[in-house]
Amino acid sequence: MDHSNRLLRALSDTDREILHPLLIRAELPRGYELVAPHRPIADAWFLESGLSSIIAMSGKEQGVEVGLAGRDGLVGMPLLLDADRTPHRVFMQVEGVGYRIAARDLTAVLDEHTSIRKTLLRYVQAYATQTTYTALSNAVDTVEARMARWLLMSHDRQDSDEISLTHEFLALMLGIQRPTVTLALHSLEGMNLIKATRGLVTVRNRQGLEAFAGNAYGVPEAEYERLIGPLR
Amino acid sequence: MPRFFLHIDNGFQCIEDEEGSVLPDLAAARNEALTSARQLWAAAILQQRDLGRRRFVISDADGVEIDSVEMDEALPSNLVERLRS
Repeated sequence: MDHSNRLLRALSDTDREILHPLLIRAELPRGYELVAPHRPIADAWFLESGLSSIIAMSGKEQGVEVGLAGRDGLVGMPLLLDADRTPHRVFMQVEGVGYRIAARDLTAVLDEHTSIRKTLLRYVQAYATQTTYTALSNAVDTVEARMARWLLMSHDRQDSDEISLTHEFLALMLGIQRPTVTLALHSLEGMNLIKATRGLVTVRNRQGLEAFAGNAYGVPEAEYERLIGPLR
Repeated sequence: MPRFFLHIDNGFQCIEDEEGSVLPDLAAARNEALTSARQLWAAAILQQRDLGRRRFVISDADGVEIDSVEMDEALPSNLVERLRS
């Protein structure tokens, strides 16, 4: 079995063979909820394609994205940390394909196989770095730089240059109003870095986008590569 | 619920809202424009920029302009009064 998931790729052949019989492939449509807040997590997911958003809620209405996981990671991280649930919600914001593993199967594998546990825990560290840099970016970067960072992070997690997203989703991701999204995309478009059409953002100049994002992008990605291996 | 489009007219060109938002009524659309305008002001002030004569143009699902919101409307009224006095 060939995998796009970077964690499954990072495991040894022996470790992958241990997981294989426990993995069930599933198509994941946009909006599919992988983890519900405050409920026992039934399964963890190794995504092969698509993007999932980890959302923190303020009250019942207002939510903002605090983390992004695609083929780089595992959804259901609390299970790796001996927790059965989380206040966060995780859902697919770009449709894709993933492999599901039941919580009890994952726990048993982690108990028995140190090398699998270590690799997955290193991912938790890489993910924690990502979220801390999201906090930093929210505090110090302009909306345009945050948008560039977010587009780069999505681009890292897929093969195509086309990112299928509505402005409404981007507004949720960045915690901004939809018209503010329109203006930020317009500004990046004006520099020929992207092309934005209805429901679709196309990356036209990846290097230019990285240069524009500056310090807003790069540290968590380098940390991922140091801890796990190639991200893109 | 109807769909409202919030285009941004910056005096030189109109940046089109291609997607629109499904909202209960025009008041909710104006409210979205005002909240967004406050975000834009916050960023503009940090960068010592003026938003000038930019305004939101609100249109309905048929593309008919039904209202507009000036950026200045999003500023606190006592601030506007103080600056004018």
